[in-house]
This record gives sequence, structure tokens and C-alpha cells, in this order.
Amino acid sequence: MSATLGIAIERLSKSFGAVQALADIEIQVKAGEFLALIGPSGCGKTTLLKCVAGLLPADAGRIVIGSRPVSGPGGREASLVFQDFALLPWATARENAEFGLLLRGAPAAERTEAARRALAKVGLAGSFEQAYPAQLSGGMQQRVGLARALAVNPQVLLMDEPFASIDEQTRRILQDDLLRLWSEERKTVVLVTHSMEEAIYLSDRVVVLSPRPGRVHRVLDVPLPRPRETLDVRASGEFARLVDELWQILKKMQ
Amino acid sequence: MKRLLARGAPLAAFLALWQWAAWVPISFNFPTPWQTVVALAELLGSGALLQASATSLQSLVLGFGAAILIGVPLGLLMGVVRGVGRVARVYLDLLIALPTAALIPLVILSFGINVVSSAVIIFVFSAPFITMNAYGGVRDTRPRLVEMARAFGASWGKLFTRIVLPSALPMILAGLRLGLSRAFLGLIVAELLLSPFGLGKLIMNSRSMFEHDKMFATVAWTLVLAGIALAVLARLEARLLRWRAA
Repeated sequence: MSATLGIAIERLSKSFGAVQALADIEIQVKAGEFLALIGPSGCGKTTLLKCVAGLLPADAGRIVIGSRPVSGPGGREASLVFQDFALLPWATARENAEFGLLLRGAPAAERTEAARRALAKVGLAGSFEQAYPAQLSGGMQQRVGLARALAVNPQVLLMDEPFASIDEQTRRILQDDLLRLWSEERKTVVLVTHSMEEAIYLSDRVVVLSPRPGRVHRVLDVPLPRPRETLDVRASGEFARLVDELWQILKKMQ
Repeated sequence: MKRLLARGAPLAAFLALWQWAAWVPISFNFPTPWQTVVALAELLGSGALLQASATSLQSLVLGFGAAILIGVPLGLLMGVVRGVGRVARVYLDLLIALPTAALIPLVILSFGINVVSSAVIIFVFSAPFITMNAYGGVRDTRPRLVEMARAFGASWGKLFTRIVLPSALPMILAGLRLGLSRAFLGLIVAELLLSPFGLGKLIMNSRSMFEHDKMFATVAWTLVLAGIALAVLARLEARLLRWRAA
């Protein structure tokens, strides 16, 4: 449909009052890349993601998605996926999946169609469409959250610890589903996580942020083969070595 | 069967206690349940009760209706505009703490003895609760949902109609139920203490004539009316908040 877009984060700084959250962040996310952001709590990784989404204004520097500088929320290039899913409790799965399109003023028929397609992509076709969030498990709720993000057909997915509140077994299934989706759709993904395994398993590169103020500390390449969801990459020695390398970097920062 | 028993047992116990109270009797001229039912039939037959109800319901609709029409928007405004909320809250807290019955002489002075002043009392009884609940409902809105909608580019209007209003709805409806109970309270207080109208007048007249069975019948009838009104609201609530039962 539309070309995949890269993200340029240039000399970005952000303070909350006297507290500097981010200092001189410089990251280039390539079009179609899967990038993970990791770091100790307080390193500003979620703040950075919110800046990319336009929810927080930067104090200095700029963010460009494709060729458009981010100037506020609501840009059509990127969709957010939240840790706590942020589903409307009064709306069914389908209505939730339609919500982004609704806000953008899409006609009802188009919304329904796009939501159905997105729900099918995340494995929630059929009777689940009419379920309310409270009737769904955490994993299924996040599938709805992902469907909502995909329904507006963004070029960039911004994911804020999307699987952090989901149990381990379900998390692994969701990670594999995400990898499958990503290889089919070729979107640029920025994933904030605090799980080293998740960062290594999913991404092409891991950006390690140091805390107070958040700075880019290291960038780790992840040359694991793809499709990882079918290659049983977790069992490989290379996977273990990369997770350990990431751990060594993080450990020295404590 | 079990459900029938669970619902019927308290009622049976209540009636038995009442019957016993009338046998003793615990006070002068205390009517039995049966005497009350007969009096109720009589009052209904003569049309006196329905006429009184019509009058009372008129002031109830007027007062409670105004309380909804003013209270809900005011509460929403207080929730959305912080400054308004901070100021208005103080007055509402005062209004809730105030012994409202003390206002009655003032109301009579201002509006005279008529249906309107009953409606004003009803309004004063119910509106603060309706307003406070609407205000609380808006404040209960999860910031994360607002953030999510903003990320999708929601305008201010859409943010209000699609996030804030549905978030506040459960509290608003609970406020209406609370307000309705308070409205019935205000109605009877107003009619007992100030105006020779409606059900309150019927209660007072029956009492002064020592027709305690009729007085009881009127009180019971008032309870039935309030019960029906509350049941209607509960139905509306269950419909609008279907997702909560899910």
C-alpha cells in the first residue's frame, strides 16, 4: 500500500521540570526495522516512545517519521500499543478495533471491514468480535489492542511493553505471532521492553538507554537468523550469548 | 423455588412482625397489614390517592427533572474545567451537609405555597448528589484512555463524547438513582412541612383524623411509587451498562 517509513530521532532532549528525562538522544530506525529499547527503570524509554508518538513535546531536537517531523499526537504514520491494553471497557472487541478509524472519521462500513481484517490477522475472528474486554484474557485483550493499532494501517508500530502484563506462556505465543505479522506486513517497529530475552528474540537491534538522564548507552546488533518463530532460535547458543552480552551491559550500569 | 423463597422470606417476616406489632399493639390505633390493605383499596377506589399522587408526581417530575437537566451538565463541566470544579465543590459540599429541611421557610418566602416550592425543595434535595456523581464520574476517567484517543488524533469534542462521557456514565446513573431516592424524601418533607398538596397532605390529614390505617396506606403507596421509579432507573442502568454484566 504505502512504503515503509524509517524514523530519525535527532538530538532529542526532554525534561520534566528540573528532572532531565532524555538527553541528546540520537537514533536512526531504518524502514522496516524491528528496534528494541531497553534500560533500567527511569531511563526514559517510555518517555522516548511517547515523544515519537507525539504525545509529549520535545524540549530540543526533533523526530522525523518518513519525511514528516512529529509535531503533535494523531499522526497517521504511527500506532501505539499499550502495556495495559487501554481498551474501552464499554466497547466490544470489534468496536475497540474500530476505534482509531472512528476517531479519524472513517465511514462505518469501512471501519467494520478494516476491524474484521485486523482482528483476523491477530487471530480473533468470529465470535470474539462481540466480546467485551472483561470477557477476554489478558493475551486476547492485547490482541485486540494490536488489532486496533493495525486497523488504521500505520507504517510504524510503537509498542510500550506490550507483553509485560501477560503470563509467560501466552507471551511467547504473542511474540511469535508478532514476528509473523511483522514479516508479513513489513512495518517499522519500536518496542520498549524490560525483558532482555524479548528484546533479543524479537529485534534487529537493541538500543540500551542509561538512566537519569536517559542517553543512548550502547546499540547491540542482533544477527540471529529469521524467521525466528519457526527456527527455534531460543534454544540456540547464539541466542543465549546475545542475552548474556545484553545482561553484561545492563549489569555494569546498575 | 429457591429464589422465590429468598425473596419471599424477608417480606413474610416483615408482615409477621407488623401483625405482631398491631396485636400488642405497640402504639395507639396501630393498624394491621390487612387493615392497611383495605384502607389502600378504599383510597384507591375513591380516587383520593391517585389525585394526590398526580399532584405529588407533578412536583417530583419538575424538581427531579430540573435536577438532572442542571446537575448532570454542571457536574460534567466541573470535571472537565478544573477551576470550576474546585470552586463549585465547596458549595456543593455545603449544600449536602446543610440540613435541607431548614431551607423550607426560605423557599416558602421566595416561591409561596404551591407546587413550584415543592419542586424547589425536591431540587435542593437531589441536585447536589446528581452533580457530585457526574463530577466524580468525569474524574474517574482513566488518563490512559485519554492518551490512547489522543494518540489516534482525537479532537477535544470526540475525547469528550467517546472517552469522558462513557467513562462517567456509571457514576452518573448511580447519581440519578441516589438523586431519585433523595427526591422522594424531599417530596414528602416538602409536603408534610410546607404545602397542603399531594401525598404529604393525605398523610397529614389521615393522621389528624386518627385514620392511621389510611396514613399507613399512603406511606406504603409512596414506597411503592418510589420502588417502581427506582426499578425503572435500574432497568435503564442495566441496559446502558450491559458491558458491566459481561
